[in-house]
Amino acid sequence: MLDHCSISHKGGVVLWSRSFTPAASHTAASSASPVNSLVREALIEGRSSDGKYEKDGYAVKWTFVNDLELIFVVAYQRILQLTYVEDLLNALKTLFIKLFQPFLTTFVASLHVTTTVKLSASTDTHSSWNFAKAFDGWDAVFDKLLRGLEDKAAQERRTRSGHVIRPMVEVTPPEEDINIVPSQSSDNVLDQEQIARNVQALKNRLRGRGGPPGRRGRGRADVENGRDSLPGSDSETPSKSKRKAKAQRKWGDEAPTESDMASLDFSYDSSTSDSHIAPPVDLSALVDNGSLGTRTQDGLYEVRDWEFAQSQGGKSADDVIAEVLKKSGQEPPKPSSGSLGALGSIFARLTGSKVLTEEDLKPVLEAMKQHLMKKNVAKEISDKICEDVGQSLVGKKVGGFQTTNSAVRQALANSITRILTPKTSTDLLLSIRTKLSAPVAASQQRQPYSITFVGVNGVGKSTNLSKVCFWLIQNGFRVLIAACDTFRSGAVEQLRVHVRNLGMLGVDGATNSKGRVELYERGYGKDAAGIAKEAISYARDNDFDVVLIDTAGRMQDNEPLMRALAKLVATNNPDKIIFVGEALVGNEAVDQLTKFDRALRDFSAASGGQERGIDGMLVTKWDTVDDKVGAALSMTYVTGQPIIFVGCGQTYTDLRQLRVGNVVQAILSD
Amino acid sequence: MEEYSADTSKRPEPEVLSPTSALNSQLLPIAAVLLAVLLVAVFALLVRKKSSKRGDAVILAGCSDAGKTAILTTLAYQQTLPTHASMQTNAALVALPSSRKTLRVVDVPGHPRIRDQFQEHLPQAKALAFVVDASTVSRNGAAVAEHLHMIMHALTSLPPSRSTPSLLIVAHKCDLLKGTANASAEQLAINRVRTILERELEKRRSTHANGVAVEGLGAEDAESEIGGLECTGNGEFKFAEWEGGEVAFIGTSVSVGKAAQVVTEKHSEKDGLSSLREWLEELA
Repeated sequence: MLDHCSISHKGGVVLWSRSFTPAASHTAASSASPVNSLVREALIEGRSSDGKYEKDGYAVKWTFVNDLELIFVVAYQRILQLTYVEDLLNALKTLFIKLFQPFLTTFVASLHVTTTVKLSASTDTHSSWNFAKAFDGWDAVFDKLLRGLEDKAAQERRTRSGHVIRPMVEVTPPEEDINIVPSQSSDNVLDQEQIARNVQALKNRLRGRGGPPGRRGRGRADVENGRDSLPGSDSETPSKSKRKAKAQRKWGDEAPTESDMASLDFSYDSSTSDSHIAPPVDLSALVDNGSLGTRTQDGLYEVRDWEFAQSQGGKSADDVIAEVLKKSGQEPPKPSSGSLGALGSIFARLTGSKVLTEEDLKPVLEAMKQHLMKKNVAKEISDKICEDVGQSLVGKKVGGFQTTNSAVRQALANSITRILTPKTSTDLLLSIRTKLSAPVAASQQRQPYSITFVGVNGVGKSTNLSKVCFWLIQNGFRVLIAACDTFRSGAVEQLRVHVRNLGMLGVDGATNSKGRVELYERGYGKDAAGIAKEAISYARDNDFDVVLIDTAGRMQDNEPLMRALAKLVATNNPDKIIFVGEALVGNEAVDQLTKFDRALRDFSAASGGQERGIDGMLVTKWDTVDDKVGAALSMTYVTGQPIIFVGCGQTYTDLRQLRVGNVVQAILSD
Repeated sequence: MEEYSADTSKRPEPEVLSPTSALNSQLLPIAAVLLAVLLVAVFALLVRKKSSKRGDAVILAGCSDAGKTAILTTLAYQQTLPTHASMQTNAALVALPSSRKTLRVVDVPGHPRIRDQFQEHLPQAKALAFVVDASTVSRNGAAVAEHLHMIMHALTSLPPSRSTPSLLIVAHKCDLLKGTANASAEQLAINRVRTILERELEKRRSTHANGVAVEGLGAEDAESEIGGLECTGNGEFKFAEWEGGEVAFIGTSVSVGKAAQVVTEKHSEKDGLSSLREWLEELA
């Protein structure tokens, strides 16, 4: 049932693994193994949704042990619905740690050496790092555990299906001869002989009925001779079928009997019962004494006020605890430091043995979440980030003078840095030069590099497009601007003014840059995809290096417009699709980006091209938010793509690159 | 009148105190100077101790799936354990058999989002080994070159008070290449890695040299340029002419799962990492 199971260290060393199918063992060693993909795409990205991950037909589930830095991973086929995987993971966790704790602690310590210490000759070369021997009995334990869980699951399935069959048995129709296979007896397992007997009885019955003679009878003759060993099967079958005794129907012309009257009497038993005996009603269920209101001095009863904060706070605390408990499962309860109080925890921290628990982390994480939301990070994103940070810190040891607050802060800074650090190169110049200098076939001309700017209405696409154009001109490229916004009045004229301005600005000592930038427009009301296609071919024929395509702003849930945009992307296949978003947006950023990305991927794949999503983002109006720059974090979290540029003003030089350190500092500062 | 008496009463006191005060007035500056000298000496000793402690680690960096964690486990535990993508840095002690010294080797993850962790260990680094997967470098040469560029930039922008860590480029997974009659697999791998990296880094250098970059946010810091690829000669990038120091090349391979023979000082095995071990010995 399972395909692959492994236990590994967060630093990359696999301590134990087992593959159950040859295909799984083949991929397990390569870089396409499910564990490797899980770590690379889900865990490091920090964007794993709901604790499950699927890739290539495998569903992968995992769990952490944070103080020993271990990851337990189980991979199985996605189409199977295995119910015991969570229990298996939890049981694996507890068993493995219980059996091999000392070895694991030394192993983890050996991977976290901070200073060079001279090793004595006796310990190093003949060291005891014999991993196969260390995990000696683990295979047997694992087999037993897996078998136990599989048996239990199989049993549950059997009892469930058993219940389903039994009602069907009871409603079998009665003794009709034509009746098909005689109904089964109450035990589900029919062995071969019984089946053969049943089939034989059926055939006899059909034959006895005088079915089509001749050929069938002849055909049967041979069969009959072969079945001589089963005589008299016909007589047994009627006894097998259940006969329900037919009860005579009652028509309404007789007087009802006493028993009928009693069964039809639905009135209250007022005659028989005593009026003093009250029906047993649970009064405490009717009224909650804690929520009773107050009586004023006049004797009026006033209802209690609704309190907002309390109810919501209580609910979220319960949710958090339930979630974490579900994940930790059968883990033994950690020794709480509450026995000695605050002094005890201080001593524990100083001696380096304080272990972080959920109760410690909960208030700190709540405060961090509020802080992030104050910095304009979307609510769901701050929820997820704080949850990830909490999950990675539970069970970790903090030592020295580090408080819980600072440990959480450190982990949060790491997490945000990790989310904001781009995983693909944001060097646009290099990509352009690489494409332009790629060798082309002799018959073809060189294709220009095309960039499309998409976004909702009013975020600053045209303004920032001209800023990017200015930067490209300064770098010596010839740029063609394609005016594919054929809807908004004044869009084409706006771009014409920009091109005129850019033409007047000098480059490299020249007084102007005529011939470096041009506008390609076809007026209003036409199809944007067609204009873009013509613009790219015009650029190819006239030796332009880069084509910048300006599109109309559209709302993310306007399906016909999203389809039109996807058609533009599919027909022209631009090299980069840049989503322009503004820094002022809060929770809306999540919605905009998810819907834009999803719509682009779905519709562009549907209209025949390859699936394209958003390749990068440009955040505008950065100068309007001073340090509430959480929108950058929300946007990178949702798409996983980097922020290529930041627009911070309305002149041509107000284009900047994002510095991850600055943004992290701005978000975490008070 | 009282003042006069007060003066007279005061006058003998300075006479009593004057010899000690004279002594004090002589001793005090001397004592102060001695104390200052002592403090400076202690401080200098501490600083020298710190700087001698500095620069004792070897950083293993490189792209994802290059084989850094496998190399680390082979060096540290004498057996190559199966590995997957690392989520955090590993720092282990490696004993060098013949010179009886120990080195601390730090293995930094190669995933693009967390590869900047090598910066934290750079102050303590004596050398940096950049591991390249020689069998796939022709496909992802651009990404490898970007990573190497970042590292070279970091190496050249260290303050001059610290000595620059020496750079070694390891062409790993040589056993996946087939050697010819003229050259062994390691030589082939080294040549392939060298040519591809030089080509890609030259592309990067020319782009940044001729281009106007967009400034970073908060234009107070002047670190918007990515340098690090300066070369002597006619400016084209060659490893031999790099201004950041000498770059060495070696070729290595490990086999996962096979427990390597324990390398003792008695018999020096020629396993795939022998060239790396030799280089480490020279370093220590």
